[in-house]
Amino acid sequence: MKALTNVNARSLADAVAAASAAAARGQAFAFSGGGTDLIQQIKDGTNQADVVINLRTVREARAVVVSPTETRIGGLITLRELAEHAALTGPWAVLREAAASVGTPQIRNVATLAGNIMQRPWCWYYRNSFNCFKAGGHQCFSVNGEHQQHAIFGGGPSFSVHPSDLAPALVALGATFEVLGPDGPRHLTAAELFVLPSQNPARENSLGATDLLTGVRLPTPAGDTVSTYLKITDRAAWTHAEVSVAVVLQVEGTRIQTASVVLGGVAPIPWRLPEVEQWLRGHALSAGATASAQGVALPVAGRAGALAIAHAQPLAKNGHKVPMTSAAVERALLRLVR
Amino acid sequence: MSTAVQPLTTIGHVTPRVDAIARVTGQAKYTNDLKLPGMLYARVLRSPHPHARIRHIDTSAAWRLPGVQAVITHENAQVVWGAGAVAGGRQYSDAIKASTRQRRYIFNNPVRCVGDAVAAVAATDRHIAEQALALIQVDYEVLPFVLDPEAALAADAPRIWPEGNLCLDVHNNAAPVVSEHGDIAAGFAAADQIFTRRYDTGFVHNAQLEPRCALAHWQGNMLTLYTPTQGIANCRHDMARDLGLEDQQVRVVCHYMGGGFGNKNQNQDADLIAAMLARHTNAPVMLEYSRRDDWLGMHGRWPTVQEYTVGVKNDGTVTAIQLIGYSGMGPYRKNAGGISGIELYACPNRYRSLAPVYTNRTTSGNFRAPSEPHGVYGIQSIMDDIAATLGMDPVAFTVKNMLRPTAEHQFTNYSLDACMQMGVEAFDWQARRKATPGADPGPLKRGAGFSFMMFRAALGMSSAVVQVDAQQHYTVFVGVTDVGPGAKTTMGMIAAEALGVPLSQVTVVSGDTERCPYSVGESGSRTTIMTGMAVVAAVQDLQQQMAARGMPTGNDVLVASATPTPVPDGTLRQCFGAHFVEVEVDTRLGTTRIVKYVAVHESGRIINPQTARDQIRGAVMQGIGQALHEDLLYDPASGQPLTIGYYRARHLTHLDVPTIEVHFLEVDDGYGPFGAKTVGEAGIILTPAAVANAIFNATGIRLTSLPMTRDKLLGALR
Repeated sequence: MKALTNVNARSLADAVAAASAAAARGQAFAFSGGGTDLIQQIKDGTNQADVVINLRTVREARAVVVSPTETRIGGLITLRELAEHAALTGPWAVLREAAASVGTPQIRNVATLAGNIMQRPWCWYYRNSFNCFKAGGHQCFSVNGEHQQHAIFGGGPSFSVHPSDLAPALVALGATFEVLGPDGPRHLTAAELFVLPSQNPARENSLGATDLLTGVRLPTPAGDTVSTYLKITDRAAWTHAEVSVAVVLQVEGTRIQTASVVLGGVAPIPWRLPEVEQWLRGHALSAGATASAQGVALPVAGRAGALAIAHAQPLAKNGHKVPMTSAAVERALLRLVR
Repeated sequence: MSTAVQPLTTIGHVTPRVDAIARVTGQAKYTNDLKLPGMLYARVLRSPHPHARIRHIDTSAAWRLPGVQAVITHENAQVVWGAGAVAGGRQYSDAIKASTRQRRYIFNNPVRCVGDAVAAVAATDRHIAEQALALIQVDYEVLPFVLDPEAALAADAPRIWPEGNLCLDVHNNAAPVVSEHGDIAAGFAAADQIFTRRYDTGFVHNAQLEPRCALAHWQGNMLTLYTPTQGIANCRHDMARDLGLEDQQVRVVCHYMGGGFGNKNQNQDADLIAAMLARHTNAPVMLEYSRRDDWLGMHGRWPTVQEYTVGVKNDGTVTAIQLIGYSGMGPYRKNAGGISGIELYACPNRYRSLAPVYTNRTTSGNFRAPSEPHGVYGIQSIMDDIAATLGMDPVAFTVKNMLRPTAEHQFTNYSLDACMQMGVEAFDWQARRKATPGADPGPLKRGAGFSFMMFRAALGMSSAVVQVDAQQHYTVFVGVTDVGPGAKTTMGMIAAEALGVPLSQVTVVSGDTERCPYSVGESGSRTTIMTGMAVVAAVQDLQQQMAARGMPTGNDVLVASATPTPVPDGTLRQCFGAHFVEVEVDTRLGTTRIVKYVAVHESGRIINPQTARDQIRGAVMQGIGQALHEDLLYDPASGQPLTIGYYRARHLTHLDVPTIEVHFLEVDDGYGPFGAKTVGEAGIILTPAAVANAIFNATGIRLTSLPMTRDKLLGALR
């Protein structure tokens, strides 16, 4: 491994200042949350950083703060803390389940919420040092190559998928994202944060190099809200989603009042399904008698699964992700039948 | 003749490994843990191209980097790696190494795959060595490449060797390897129905946890090599041969190693590169491979294409079996490229043509039962199809057609029927198997599959030395290394049993050619049998000495040694096995889940039930990985590998391990140490076939390509 300069940041502001200073010196730099992926990328040469700004020495941005109107979660909270957090029960299940689905226990012990959202794609071309869009190049090698794991929504000109599990969960919960930059803090909606390759194929989000994702804000869910995260993987640990679904439903009586359904692993950004959300509104996914619950819910969920793939655009070798997505949406909804 | 086994004192009892605590507490010193005074660190520069001629290498900038002590390339370190590519895969023959026309060097020009070694650097620390690699300027003339074995045989395919892409045999002839039994045409003429199927299987990396490393140290003209090897004596002989030394000038030490699965047989290019750098620098050199180095620079199971034609009578009697096979060997024929399985059938008319083919993929080589799992998958898939077409239970179809002892071919014992019967009962085969494949309504469909095998350990001479001191402590010297099955413990148990003393009175000294006699090496599932027999014979000698001379006194010791030479008597000594697996296929997600797995094995008398069971379980897990997950994908346009390493190749994790029931049917056929047969490789042979057959039984759809990933499954279901 090459020699690096490690900067132990003392605060978020300190970290951003260190980034600005490195940028001013013309040095390549990177923020390091848990470092579980970044350090490997530096070893592999897919990240050129000469300065690593270590955020493990920052004590702030690690808490979950609940107020009557919103919940704020610091960007440096670890995935293990998220997965086990006592305040994140009930309607927050989607967040805990997403956090618990990441990597391995060793990774979750140090990996951070912000790092999970900001991780670079795991496309095998990008990670094998192909000079693709994501590496600053001018083509996507997957289109005419191997793309079994690539995007069926929103692809082009790059087809890598967004790898985060937390991002679909946060988008489904209506999160806004707190960013600290050289000019101070600002807030971005999901639509403002995540960027399609048609807008910028080199990056997955709108943050500048010296911008630091410091936390998320989540509106307090309405009374009867249920949620879940379903992740379909090739093995039981240490892998990213083939397809994942984050679902948040606000229910009144037996009727769904509002629904958020967001896909992971199938698009370059967390992929919202407005037609599915629209369809679910007003339908019953709950039923009084448990025995008939599945029977009532199945057609509703099945129709949602069919709508989910209405606009899918698979490539030659990833068509299997289309029926998988449909089934995953249906099954995620059926998990919430009571 | 076999007899039921009688219980013994030490053998047959669950015994923790003698070095278990040292391993799990970090006391065990693996090669990479070693450090010698003045030791340098080495790194290897590898080809970024699948096929290229090196016009020129400029190492001057690397030499100028402070701390760099040596830079070697094909220009200043031209050493033949004999075990790396010997024509015909006859890796044990010095004569063939001398005659072969297709030599593999530690640095080759042209380079023939991504990962082929180009240069190596020794420096005062690891980081300097890596920096130095980046300073080496290589001027490549990029050549056309070919990845697919069948495409490689086309007349206009890029030539990887001047003689063409069909591997040369031991006589430097290019021809498929053909074996014929009986009259294949008459066999097809006698058939009522003829079935034809084509299967392909992927590249599966050995993926042992410990990447290669080597520490080489010259003292005068004596080389000491610390290296993780599956055979210190073989490694020593190979090093001596490749470096032009006598065996006695090389000492190989391997006290602990982190697995090999056939990947660390013989000497390695890492051993030779470390030795050359140590010679150039006159200092000890530690060469360490990264995971990527290990994945691309070494080898895994050869990918295959298998075309079967099978003739069968309507009563289920197989009359003819033909296999036309292709094995992708990468650019060097490190091993044979076999596809085994058709010889498990009694059918007298068999024809097999195997073409081992050069490609510009990474090198293929031996991986646990090198020729079997992919071949058994192929032949037992088509046989399963035939049984289904004829409306026969696959077990009944097998009973009708499997190889059995004949007057001509005697076995020391035969327990295939018994294994299958035990499996049928333990698994509840009749209840779990779907009479009509794909009968479940779905989306979750269950089904059961079965496979069978017999397998024989390789033979090979081994020696053992046993001594006793005045305190009645026994020391066993054996040239084994523990590649995972627990050889040190096994040898101690065999000695303790033969001596009639507790295991605590026995110390095993192993893994050092200076201290231990010759042992055949940890390959071919033969250590327990061959070296174990030597231990028994040495103990018998020692007991005679003790009887004649009494126990030693003071500082005296009594020493006995033995080198029994196995002489085949024409009788087949096979281990047997049958695996039964139930899967649940999610036809909407394409997921295959193992619901129940029963592995029945007859491996003679079991020495240590704990390690024997875990050998089968570990092998089954590797087999499931081969069946459902692992492959090495290449980008077709650039010839670059895409799925390197544990994350990309999707190796199964602990959380994926299903319950694997292991049953041993124990017999003593009068051969081997206390009747022990072979275990290590047997478990993996059956798994891909059993899983494939279970998926067919669950879905009614036959997948003809390994691994059976969800894209293939959902594609076939669509």
